[in-house]
Amino acid sequence: MKLNDTLQFASTSLNSARSRSLLMILAMSIGVAAVVILTALGEGARLYVVNQFTSLGTNLVIAMPGRSETAGINPGMLIGQTPRELVLDDAMAILRSSAVRRIAPLAIGAALASNGALNREVTVLGSTAELLGIRHMTMAQGQFLPEGPADAATPVVVIGNKIKHELFGVGSAVGSWLRLGDRRFRVIGILASQGTAMGMNTDELVIVPVASAHMLFNTQSLLRILIEAKSREVIERARGEAEEILFKQHGGERDVTVVTQDAMVATFDRILRTLTVAVGGIAAVSLAVAGVLIMNVMLIAVSQRTQEIGLLKALGAPPAQIRRLFFAEAVLLSLVGSAVGLLLGQFGSFVIGQIYPTLPVSAPWWAIIASFSTALGTGILFSVWPARRAAELDPVLALARR
Amino acid sequence: MKFSDLLRLTFTTFEVYRMRSFLTGLGIAIGVAAVILLTSIGEGLHQYLLDEFSQFGTNVVTIQPGKAQTHGANAGIFGTIRPLTLEDADALHRVPYMEFVNPSVQGNAEVRADGKSRRSFVYGAGPDFPRAFKMKVQMGNFLPDDESARARNFVVLGQKLRQELFSNVNPLGEYVRVGGERFRVIGVMEAKGQVLGFDMDDIVYIPAARALEMFNRTGLIEININYLPSADVDKVVKSIKNILSQRHGREDFTVITQEQALEVMNSVLGVITFAVAAIGAISLLVGGVGILTIMTMAVTERTGEIGLLRALGARQHQVLILFLGEAILLSAAGGVVGLLVGMGVAQGLHLLLPSLPVQIPVFFAVLAETTAVFIGLAAGVVPARRAAIMDPVDALRTE
Repeated sequence: MKLNDTLQFASTSLNSARSRSLLMILAMSIGVAAVVILTALGEGARLYVVNQFTSLGTNLVIAMPGRSETAGINPGMLIGQTPRELVLDDAMAILRSSAVRRIAPLAIGAALASNGALNREVTVLGSTAELLGIRHMTMAQGQFLPEGPADAATPVVVIGNKIKHELFGVGSAVGSWLRLGDRRFRVIGILASQGTAMGMNTDELVIVPVASAHMLFNTQSLLRILIEAKSREVIERARGEAEEILFKQHGGERDVTVVTQDAMVATFDRILRTLTVAVGGIAAVSLAVAGVLIMNVMLIAVSQRTQEIGLLKALGAPPAQIRRLFFAEAVLLSLVGSAVGLLLGQFGSFVIGQIYPTLPVSAPWWAIIASFSTALGTGILFSVWPARRAAELDPVLALARR
Repeated sequence: MKFSDLLRLTFTTFEVYRMRSFLTGLGIAIGVAAVILLTSIGEGLHQYLLDEFSQFGTNVVTIQPGKAQTHGANAGIFGTIRPLTLEDADALHRVPYMEFVNPSVQGNAEVRADGKSRRSFVYGAGPDFPRAFKMKVQMGNFLPDDESARARNFVVLGQKLRQELFSNVNPLGEYVRVGGERFRVIGVMEAKGQVLGFDMDDIVYIPAARALEMFNRTGLIEININYLPSADVDKVVKSIKNILSQRHGREDFTVITQEQALEVMNSVLGVITFAVAAIGAISLLVGGVGILTIMTMAVTERTGEIGLLRALGARQHQVLILFLGEAILLSAAGGVVGLLVGMGVAQGLHLLLPSLPVQIPVFFAVLAETTAVFIGLAAGVVPARRAAIMDPVDALRTE
């Protein structure tokens, strides 16, 4: 029998029991659609996080105080308390590296911000003019912190969009005074609304020169130093040199951790990818159930079509031919089922993408290939037994039945 | 038709179509097993985290500097214009129902002794720390109850540090340098192991006042207050807020009760477990389609039998119940098998990987089984109706 004939035979038999075939296709497509939608969600979450990271800046290297003996981060490091803290001089020293384009020191703290009778607790970020470029922030109004020596405690402040609305209402804020703690600062700019990026919402931030922040919080330590490398190629060199410079600055003690942003992104990337695969795998269990269903139905079909098989064998069809017939049926079913499932899944992801526009939902190619081939594989695998049973029927007995 | 007859008839059908019934039930069983296995792991993790959190005692209130905002973390622990001081911690001894007050300052510093050195977690604590956090001192004593601002340079080592720096020598009375300053070892803590991925034995404990100096900080990172189990949390929180507000002139700190922290964790983990269960339940849905398919085929195949039943005087609703019952029984049985298999695999996993906490959630077990029954019901309705409204004369003729 030619391939053409085999296909025709199989599709006719599928056609003759239409509702049954439709139900099997439905079962298969539910499984495939579930895998596609769930991996699309997982992939969307992964891309979202990676985007969030990269929106923090490009070619970034981050220095933080403290170091852990074993790999990993301990809580003491997150808080950034060490006997020898990172100070402004350390930050400036990093500029000596030829791989470093610019740096932005970061000091952070909480303070009460007030304008007349309006007040609220705000997160205060102390930094320099370079922060704007390194962190890819944009201004809505006015200007960012002035250029100049980092140790000048100029009483100026740049405020987030939400702070502006809460403390100044609809009126103009640029040029007014804002009281932070017991000091007055002149508002010189308002940040454009950016939304949350890695838990830090620039809308609810006020940014002052780093020296002013140190005065405000009565400290001289930096929480982080953001270092921008000159290009992608020299990131690793920038990291190494920054570490070496800080090592020398701290009198030959390695008490600073310097990581590249890529390394941090890679960690998240790995975790989220694993999660996506796991979720897709769980959904793929339903494909196994669909496979069992196909097997079940085909077994019944074999016993229903005993006579037909007997006739085929009597006409001289070898067992391999019969097997192939049933295989073809299973393959057709799974093919159509997974195609429908793919369409459904893509449609579902599209709808989710429309509902949550911030999430870049799209099924990764490997998930599409995997779900398609898994569906096809289970379909074929579960048809082996029924096909074998059909092929082993004795033609005389098969014909004689009924 | 009596109920027992109904059951007998259904079971006879199962007997006759053994393989078919087995495979149909298998579909549901896989689905239920997947749900049970996944929720068992989810619930186990939940319980594990809960235990990790509450091993330090449940009646704890934490105070951090800076008022937490609705979004994002509290920046107060990094720096604040009005820090929480040791005097604040001392003042909090006035809180009613208070058991222990523990000021805390954490940081990272080099610990040196005898030519060996190790970077460790430095915990500036108060004298009541071991009792407040249910930790035990293995040898020597914990930090003495010195006047908080003038605490002496004593240090208590974690078990791992003791091993690393002194190996088998008795460390009591020896001097170590923590962040460049000299401290005398007066105690060693019992091994505690890892808690949430953090090694509790790689810690040195020094008086909070010394830690403030060492890290050049003006304020504490947090203050923990243990209250009597019989006390009312709200009263404790209110009194804390009163005392600190009076000292600071305003409420510029955040009070977090253990319950609030656990509540957040509970709700997050609950949602995750439920989501995983829902993903597993997709298999159940596919299993339901399986039942629908097989029952549709069965009704076609058994047209003659239906005709005979009807000719013998069986009513429409009796035929309906017969087929519906078959579908429900099939999926219920599959569900029970799935429950057993899921629990078995979960326990097996637990035996193989003892570090993987597993707990079978009764709620999800009941939910999965109920869902299975309902899926059987829903999948059985269409075929059963078709069987019921069949014309007996036509049905008999097909045979």
